[in-house]
Amino acid sequence: MTEATDLAERAGDRDPRVGLRAVAALRRLLEQLEAVQVRSARNQGWSWQEIAAELGVSRQAVHKKYGRH
Amino acid sequence: MFERFTKDARAVVRGAVEHVERAGERTVDADHLLLAVLEREGSRASFALASLGVTGARKESVRDAVAEGRRRAGLSRADADALSGLGIDVAEIVARVEEVHGVGAMSGDRGDKGRWSGRRAFGRDAKGVLERSLRTAVAHGDRHIGDEHLLLALTTGGGVAAEVLADHGVTHESLTRVLYGGGEGRAKAG
Repeated sequence: MTEATDLAERAGDRDPRVGLRAVAALRRLLEQLEAVQVRSARNQGWSWQEIAAELGVSRQAVHKKYGRH
Repeated sequence: MFERFTKDARAVVRGAVEHVERAGERTVDADHLLLAVLEREGSRASFALASLGVTGARKESVRDAVAEGRRRAGLSRADADALSGLGIDVAEIVARVEEVHGVGAMSGDRGDKGRWSGRRAFGRDAKGVLERSLRTAVAHGDRHIGDEHLLLALTTGGGVAAEVLADHGVTHESLTRVLYGGGEGRAKAG
């Protein structure tokens, strides 16, 4: 957590263009990481509820994003 | 919007969707449009690429570089550099994730081909390419949107596709020259 805060602060200190680019890139990286971990959890039989609890979001949010309809 | 697309431009859009389906992904990205443009033969884009030396092995090199970018979570080198400024080593992260989850884990390829039966959505960057291709065609007074306009739009996107193209000598400037500036050369020669 402190590391994430630290990163966020340093991102704010930089030249806006580089800083914003870093934020956008980080978001993309985060999205892919989340997808990898959610898929892995599902393959190991985790419920949407369990995954949502670990991610700190609602079950609906995670299911809507990754569930198949 | 698609009614103004030429046969080749439509084939690019269809080809991009097919790439996504084959990979078991959900979203059509600019990268997929680029891969689909590379597949065209006898089109204006393929002639433009050929006159910039992107044929055969160079085409393969573009494909490899796109695949490399996708493996890096779709981050361009410029993105990775920006993150490196924050002390984040993208290559290291990708390597560690791949160690546990397999090669290509960060590429967005779901690895469960065909199971996602929903309709493929165009991602924001791919939509941007379509919009810019329309603007480019209008700006040049072209009545139809061809695959060359899609290629031109891909060079100004700022992501992996634009970076890879630039690395292979395909920039908005060089493309505009071969597509629109070539006439003068021929006129002089004649």
